[in-house]
Formats: sequence, C-alpha cells, structure tokens
Amino acid sequence: MRTLFLNTKDLPDFLNNLSKEYSVYVPSKIKGKGLPCDFGFKLPTHDYLWEKLSAVKKEDLAFNDYRSIESLRAFFTRSKEKLVLSDNENKIAVFGVKACDLFCLKIQDFVFSGGEIKDPFYERRRASALLISGDCLSFKEACFCLALEINPYPGEGFDLNFSVLENGFVVDVGSDKGEEAIKASAALFAPATSQALAQREEKRNALARNLSGHLERHKIPSKDVLQEIVKAGYESDIWQAEAEKCVECGACNFVCGTCHCFLLAEDRFGNAHERVRLWDCCSYANFARVAGGANPLKLRYQRVRNRYLKKFDFFPENFAISACAGCGRCIEACPAKIDIRSVLRKLNEEKSLSAR
Amino acid sequence: MIDREILLEKVKTSPYKPMKGRIIKAEMLTEKEKFFRIELEDKVNLAHEPGQFVMVSIFGYGEAPISICSSPTDKGYFDLTVRNVGTLTSRLHQLGEGDTLGIRGPFGKGFPIDNMFGYDLVIVAGGLGIVPLRSLMRYIMHNRNDFGNVQLLLGCKSPKDLLFREEVKEWKRRAEVKFNCTVDKADPDWQGNVGLITTLIPGVDINPMRTYAVVVGPPIMYKFVIGELLNKIIPDHQIIVSLERRMKCGLGKCGHCQIEGKYVCQSGPVFNYAQLKDFKGECHEKAA
Repeated sequence: MRTLFLNTKDLPDFLNNLSKEYSVYVPSKIKGKGLPCDFGFKLPTHDYLWEKLSAVKKEDLAFNDYRSIESLRAFFTRSKEKLVLSDNENKIAVFGVKACDLFCLKIQDFVFSGGEIKDPFYERRRASALLISGDCLSFKEACFCLALEINPYPGEGFDLNFSVLENGFVVDVGSDKGEEAIKASAALFAPATSQALAQREEKRNALARNLSGHLERHKIPSKDVLQEIVKAGYESDIWQAEAEKCVECGACNFVCGTCHCFLLAEDRFGNAHERVRLWDCCSYANFARVAGGANPLKLRYQRVRNRYLKKFDFFPENFAISACAGCGRCIEACPAKIDIRSVLRKLNEEKSLSAR
Repeated sequence: MIDREILLEKVKTSPYKPMKGRIIKAEMLTEKEKFFRIELEDKVNLAHEPGQFVMVSIFGYGEAPISICSSPTDKGYFDLTVRNVGTLTSRLHQLGEGDTLGIRGPFGKGFPIDNMFGYDLVIVAGGLGIVPLRSLMRYIMHNRNDFGNVQLLLGCKSPKDLLFREEVKEWKRRAEVKFNCTVDKADPDWQGNVGLITTLIPGVDINPMRTYAVVVGPPIMYKFVIGELLNKIIPDHQIIVSLERRMKCGLGKCGHCQIEGKYVCQSGPVFNYAQLKDFKGECHEKAA
C-alpha cells in the first residue's frame, strides 16, 4: 500500500479531475435531527447526505466527520430498478465512505457476488465503482462500531483512504483502481512524511479512546456473545416488548447497510411492463406470507426477532461475520426509538440472569 | 445432462429473466386445482430433481414458486398443478393450451433419491402435498426396482378433492404400491377411511431402519405425522419433509425464505427431520 499526502486546498481539483471519468458523489452537510446524548456528552447532530459533485458549491465541499445518513448500498442496488443491463451507466466514485460502510459492503458482496449465481447488476456496478473512504473525525450518539470491533477508520476494502490532518490529507492507496484514479492528479500528491503518519496515528487513537468512553455507558455486549444471546433469547419477552413499539415503517431496513432483501415484480413504464427489483423489508406483515395466506412471520414480534436472527445468527452461520457494522442508522431512523444497542444489552442481561 | 448446462448458463447470464414455457395440456383436476403440462423453448428438458420447484410468472401479474409434479424421467415437458388462491394463480387458471408463461429454475434441493436407493418408502401426502410427491411417485414408478416396498398414504378434505385419481388407481392396480387413503369428511359414495391422516400411520407395517418416510402437506400436519413416525422409531434423518416458504428469487439472495440459518430455496424446500428439529419455529416433538 502506498501512502501519499494531499494539501487541503487541492482536494477540489482532485475531485474535479476524477469527475472526468466518474460520476463523483461527495457528502454535503445538512442540518440533522440527530439524537441527543443520554449521558450528557456534547455530540454533533448535523448530518451528511451524498450528492453529485456538480451540485455542491465549491465552498461547501466538506470532509464528513462521520458516516452519511444513507447507506452505501443504495449505489449498488437501487431502491427500485429495472432489471435491464444498460451499457451507458456511469461509473461512480463515492467520496466520504466510512469504515462501517465498507464493512456493510462485505455483506452485500457476499449476498450478491457470492454463491453459484451472481447478480450481474450488482457485480458490474461494484467492479467499476471507486470507493474513497475516510477516517472518522468524530461520532454521533448512535455510533457504536467499536463495540463490534470495527475501528472508526478503514483498514481494508477501499480504493483510496483519506485521513485528515491540520493542513492536508494522508492518502492510502488501497487498490490498482485507486492507483489509476490518482494518475491524472499525480502532481497534487506528495509522499507522506513520517511526521504526518505519526500525527494520523495519534488522531486515530484519540478518537477511538473517546468513542470507547462513550460506549462504555451503553454496556453493549461483546461481539463474541451476540450470536449466542440472540439465539438463547428466542423465547424471550423482549421481542414482544420491542414489537409493541414498532410501527412497521421499515425505516430500520431501508437505512441499514447490510439489509439486502428484495422483491421481484413487474411495473408499468408508459405503455409497457418491465421487470423491476424493489427493496423489501422484513418488518412488513406480508414479508414471508405464502400463497393461500399462511405466514411463518405472522406476528410483529416474530418479525422483530427475525431481523436480529438474520443479522446475528444467519450471517455468522453462513459467512462467519455478523451483519451489523454499528453505524447506528437504524437507531436514528426508528420513530419508535427501538435501540439495537439496548435490545442486545437486555438480551445479554437476561441470559446472564438465567444462567445464575 | 446437457440440458442442465443450458439452463445454468441462462441463469448465470440473466438470473431474473424467465424462459418461455408453452402450455401443451391444461385441465381442471378439481374445482380449485388445475393441471398444466409445459414445454420449454427449444424443448429443453428441465432436468430437475423430484421435489424441486420452478418460479412461474405471468408478465404483469407476478411470479410465484410452484412445485414440479412430473418426474425428470418424463422427457420433453414438465407438469405443474396449481390451486387458485391469489392474483397470479387465478390468472394462471385462465390460461389454456397454447398460452405461454415465464419459467425460472428449477431451484432448491429435491428429495434425497440417492440416499433412498434400496430402502422401503412410506409416502405421506396431505392435501396439495401429493403435488410435489407425484414427481417422486412417478420417478419411483419409472425406476421401480431401485426401491423396496412403497406405501402411499393419502389424506384430503373430501373425496372430490382427491387429486390424480386415475393415476393413483393405476399405481395401486399395478400392485407395486400399497395404497391407503382417508378423507376428513366423506360423501355418500365414499367407502374408504374417514379421519385424519395420522390415523393411518399406526397401521403401517415397516422396518424402521430400512425405511424412508416422505411427508408433504400443510404445516399443521407435519407436527402430528412426524410424531407418529417417531413412534415407529424411524431415524430422524430418514424422515423427509418439504417446507413452504415465500421464495422470490430462488437464488439465495432476496432473503424471503430464510428459516434461521438457512434459505429454503437453497437448502430446501426438502429437509430431513434432523435438520428440521433445529428450527425453533417449526414442528416440534412436543406434539408427539
């Protein structure tokens, strides 16, 4: 891996150079309605939204402190798309991807590019997309990646990674595609000094320390026990209690970076029907309903439970990693304030109580 | 197996695009169930295993998983039997000879025929369960010497709901299959058993170690039938069932047919009881 240095003022030029080959998406800062912190920390609440580079004013161009509100998967499987391979689809470059996003992409890769039959739509977009990630500089109330042993700075899976220092960025080149992407802007990059690297290390450690301090109060069970506690809690009353709050809006599914369920259907476009694929969502009552009306996930608590089983049992069973990156998007999106951290904590407490 | 390769190639290049199938025979079997014989483009054989399913679609109406009810030994065509219960199936019922529909598949794992080689078979079909089991029955009839004694137990609501009446008679007439049937509610002409299908099982004479039991029917039936079979001391892995879930893509991607750690469209729809036992939500021994 090559490590370079880019001055802050040169970032717009670099992105503009990229836009000759790619449709570049950058995070734009928006006013968020993030959660207040229960523990009195002063945590940021603004949000980021990916927008096309051309739509963002040069002075608004920002490096995002933490993940954006939507998950990365929207770039690879659309919420609704025609199932026709088109040749004139633009290659995309996404700037401001975070470590949690890259982790989620592992799950998406496993689903759509794994197995005997691969998804041609996903594969093509994934192969051509350029992922430019960045270290987190801060975190939101809902962030809990560290509890799942995912660092708030990317270590793998990116093409380029940007780490912010006072006057510029340390840039890791993680792939041949990344190498190719900086060619056109080669003059802007200089080799990174060991001072810069040391500075980055310090910043990374400081953020990890802050975040783990915040997470301590949430008492999230450790990563190794998650599968066990979710399985052990199959008959628990916790699901009923959570389901009572759930309004089946599907927000947690749609913002989740590891959710992947979809429907195949036909839809009308003008005078013709086309085959489409739509995101589906396991909170909906009809999710598992079969012909004639039988429904193995008939009750809401079964569906709430199923969501946790899928993330913490199905994926560990089949892919050896659990399908949660700790991005906390579902916590922020839920109008009923169902908090995955507290669900896991309660399951854990219940299990250790019953073990006594 | 060249047909299988053609199909696999098709699925790999465009996994969500159906092939064209033409209906070459269609008839109503009962008031609600219609039988279709379908030929694929270029007369490609489906090359399926008994117990597998296909995704049947009619453009603009949707797509649904339907069990194949013919044996792979029936060449050049395959059969489906569809009950009219929803949007797609009611549209399907309006189709007749010469009409086309979309087919994807075959998907899933079928009955473990290779393991069943040389064993005695007890086949228990409740209601529509006879549909996927017909593919197994036909396979058995075409390879009769590969299997030991075969007993077919059939249960349905009333005599007029009995599917494949003529065929069942034929199987029975050839005396290669012991056959017993029961209905929940008899009509005046009915001379057979009346009662639930579970009542037939204690009467069957088997050597449990040499017997595979294959059970297909509504979920509620599994609980009780499996209980009875366990009383007969048939080993867990020799009790075979087929589960119904909402398969949408058939490729293990769309997530709808998940049961705990498995996708039914990949690991199923056919499971043995040893696997089924681990599914907390499925039929449990409690009933036994």
